[in-house]
Amino acid sequence: MNVSSQTIPPILDGSSLRDFYTAEFARISREFELGGSGSAAARARTDLLDRIIGKLHQFLISRDPFLRQGFSIAAIGGYGRRALFPHSDVDLLLLCENAATERRLRPSFSAISQALWDIPVRVSPATRTLDECGRFKSENAEFTISLLDCRPVAGDSELFGRLHDLVIPKMVAREQRDMLRALYQLTRERHVKHGDTIFCLEPNIKEAPGGLRDCAIARSLALVPWLGHHRPWAEPESLWPAQLREQCLHAFQFLAATRCFLHYRRGRDDNSMTYELQDEAASRAIGLAVKQPVSPEDWMRHYFRNARSIDRLTTLLLEESAPARSSLYANFEGRRSRLSNADFSVARGQIFLRNSAALADHAFLLRPFEFMARHDLSLSGEAQRQIERRVADSPGQLTLSAALWPWFRQILLLPHAARALRAMHAAGLLVALVPEFKLIDALTTRDFYHRYTVDEHSFMTVENLYRLRQPGEDRADWELQYREILDELERPELLFLALLLHDVGKGLPGDNHVEGSLEAADIVLARLSLSSAETETVRFLIASHLEMSRTLQRRDIFNPEEIRSFSQKVGTPERLKMLCLFTYADIRSVNPEALTPWKAEMLWQLYAATENHMNRAVDEERFHGAGAGEQRLQAVAAILSGNAMESRIAAFLDGFPARYLASHSPEEIAAHFQMAQRLAEEPFQIDLTRDRDRYALTLLTRDRPRLLATVVGTLYGWGMSIVKAEAFASTAGIALDTFHFVDLYHTLELNPSERERFRKTLLQTLSGEQSLDAVLARRSRRAPAAPKIHIPTQIRFDDDCSSLSTVLEMVAADRPGLLFQVSSLLSELACNIEIALIDTEGPKAIDVFYLTVQGHKLDAAREKTIEEALRNRIG
Amino acid sequence: MTKVEAIIRPSTFEPVKEALREIGVEGMTVSEVRGHGRQKGHTEVYRGREYSVDFLPKILIEMILPDHLVETVVQAILRTAKTGKIGDGKIFLSPVQDAIRIRNEERGEGAL
Repeated sequence: MNVSSQTIPPILDGSSLRDFYTAEFARISREFELGGSGSAAARARTDLLDRIIGKLHQFLISRDPFLRQGFSIAAIGGYGRRALFPHSDVDLLLLCENAATERRLRPSFSAISQALWDIPVRVSPATRTLDECGRFKSENAEFTISLLDCRPVAGDSELFGRLHDLVIPKMVAREQRDMLRALYQLTRERHVKHGDTIFCLEPNIKEAPGGLRDCAIARSLALVPWLGHHRPWAEPESLWPAQLREQCLHAFQFLAATRCFLHYRRGRDDNSMTYELQDEAASRAIGLAVKQPVSPEDWMRHYFRNARSIDRLTTLLLEESAPARSSLYANFEGRRSRLSNADFSVARGQIFLRNSAALADHAFLLRPFEFMARHDLSLSGEAQRQIERRVADSPGQLTLSAALWPWFRQILLLPHAARALRAMHAAGLLVALVPEFKLIDALTTRDFYHRYTVDEHSFMTVENLYRLRQPGEDRADWELQYREILDELERPELLFLALLLHDVGKGLPGDNHVEGSLEAADIVLARLSLSSAETETVRFLIASHLEMSRTLQRRDIFNPEEIRSFSQKVGTPERLKMLCLFTYADIRSVNPEALTPWKAEMLWQLYAATENHMNRAVDEERFHGAGAGEQRLQAVAAILSGNAMESRIAAFLDGFPARYLASHSPEEIAAHFQMAQRLAEEPFQIDLTRDRDRYALTLLTRDRPRLLATVVGTLYGWGMSIVKAEAFASTAGIALDTFHFVDLYHTLELNPSERERFRKTLLQTLSGEQSLDAVLARRSRRAPAAPKIHIPTQIRFDDDCSSLSTVLEMVAADRPGLLFQVSSLLSELACNIEIALIDTEGPKAIDVFYLTVQGHKLDAAREKTIEEALRNRIG
Repeated sequence: MTKVEAIIRPSTFEPVKEALREIGVEGMTVSEVRGHGRQKGHTEVYRGREYSVDFLPKILIEMILPDHLVETVVQAILRTAKTGKIGDGKIFLSPVQDAIRIRNEERGEGAL
């Protein structure tokens, strides 16, 4: 018998179905508005639909008794979970014994759907036979997953019983691996689509990581392995890890209330929590236990904390399901488990502590995260709990100090630092180490551009820099350029520390967050006992972190005057590199579209133009008592205790390039001043120190011809490879040369007495007591390794960028002795090297010389002679 | 109605935007573009590598305006975007046949 929608007598309790539904819907809504829970509202709507569908089924049976057997209506998906939010679709399974029954009942199915749509209720009916329910199809995995929530509503209970007790468990046991794989795949795709972080400022509370969909996934992830090996069914929540169950059930209540609020407010199934609705939710204390208005920022903190719980549960269950998903994965994880060591065992990509008692050592507390940052692993739930307990048991004792800094520094320098920082934050350790970071915990920034909370933004800046080093075929050219800058940094940990702290001030009152961040950074830096140069660098980066963006927006970066002005603000090439990368990371981490290729290229062009200016205009900006160097002068005088000193220090500094003052700390300049005071007793002042993997040699003496060639020749003769050097001279004729070199044969390191012999040799070659040729004759004749890549020699003269000198820029394949060859040749050709800036970039030597001949720039003929001679000598 | 297209230096965008806002122009489309005029760019050298600065970054502002506003807007742009140096940019004017608001299908100047 055909049953059309017009024949359905839409009657329930004396009202039409539509009126009945509308009245009940309004009642449920009122109860929610009066402070009822979201889950209660969802359950009430579920019960409402159960009654309506039951009534429809009864009517259809009365017209067609055939419907009594072989046909069942079941709730699946959210409806099956009794979580039918106000405007959610109703997921129905119209279950038939066989295909013949299905064909017979098609008109009735249409009638049911039409009646519901007319109410109006959006229904998503799936018509299946029992056999079809027992087959898993990966292209329709969502349907099979929704069956895990099935519940009978009306019809043949025996038929439903077979589905529930036989067909589904058998299918799950057979298809467990594919189901878990599908769950993983669907979840990952959805997470990526929604920003792959829980910290979006306008989250979709259903689909985003940590949202309601993840709650449902967590049920499925727990149930599939259970059903694969056990009968009967279990409550999925009872299968969750005990330590997370309570938090996640609470989180579900919060999210349920929020979703109901959104649905009632919007009148449709729209789950985006916009800023405007956050304001309203906060004023109504939606989802909160205490019904008192809170600020939108505080309300969002509640959201993030609840989302974090759900995200943690889902992540844990996904990772635990990994081996069951794939044998290939098992092979991969087998390799990763070989990372296990005396302190940690690694299983399924997770770190387990072999001895949790070792956590009593504060330094050891950082070790799991260092391991994580190095190998891209995650903490096991067990390790996380152990660390959280340790942190909770040590209030105020874990603050990052000089003792812990080397460990923390090491984490910052590893490729997966961002992952480790996030895990530290989730475990409460980051805030224990840097209490100031609590100011920005889940803090929202209310503007059009920012996508993430402030803490997440900070982690993303670190992550986006390391992403530059990840391989990828479709890298834009400008990304490679930024990667090169990153690889050249001498102290990258200072940049990463500054990135972590740069927005902490947003958690303080006041409009200018930079000042607040500086105040907080000062407290942190004081605890670390960094050198004044290191502290200055971090402070500079935080203080200036908006400067490059502002220059891009408001200044003409192709105007040399603007470049000069910007260059003066930055000071040194190393700071410029750091600031450029800081700006890159900061913009890139606002939202995925913020750093357009246009902006990235502009930023790089500003960087390149400034770097060029810094190298080509060194002798144009010299210290003569006033201006930018004055603060430096005062700082140096303060160290040497006395205003009377200031005039003597000023006399010492007079004529040195501004770059010298910018690139040396007040302590270093004070030491150089004191060296200069001793020149009368010892005309060659030498200071040799170890600086991590290199040595730093400072020579202060009266300037004279061939000075640079003599020093670099001596270094070459001793097997030292110069990686960086600067040579300056003051108005008073004082030459101050600094060299950073690598001891290729570990002579100084393995033989401490050789340090003194080295100093003596240098003094002897400088004074003429020993000839440089004799030193060179003793050097090892070991042939240098052939260069792996060909770097053509480039020589370029610029007569315009300096008013006093001709600038020679040379790029060549780096090798020991190169600088000696070049500097000695220039001396042979009667050139005076006024300034030398020596740098290396991997296998490439990049040298800049400011040259004069008898106090004048070079003429074209001499430039040509020099170029030919250089090419002959160095190739 | 007239379409006004202004290609300006990025550094002048904020003052231009502010000037347009002051005279009541709120609707505009802004694009990040690259281009050059008669004077093409140049080649720079950075650490031994040449890079071209031939297409310079500019900002393109597009507005559809009632005819009576056009000259006021042009003057505002000229006032705020001009530096007097090569590279200041250009303004183009072209007639617009019609404008339609998608939300309510309103046509003509009322749709602006």
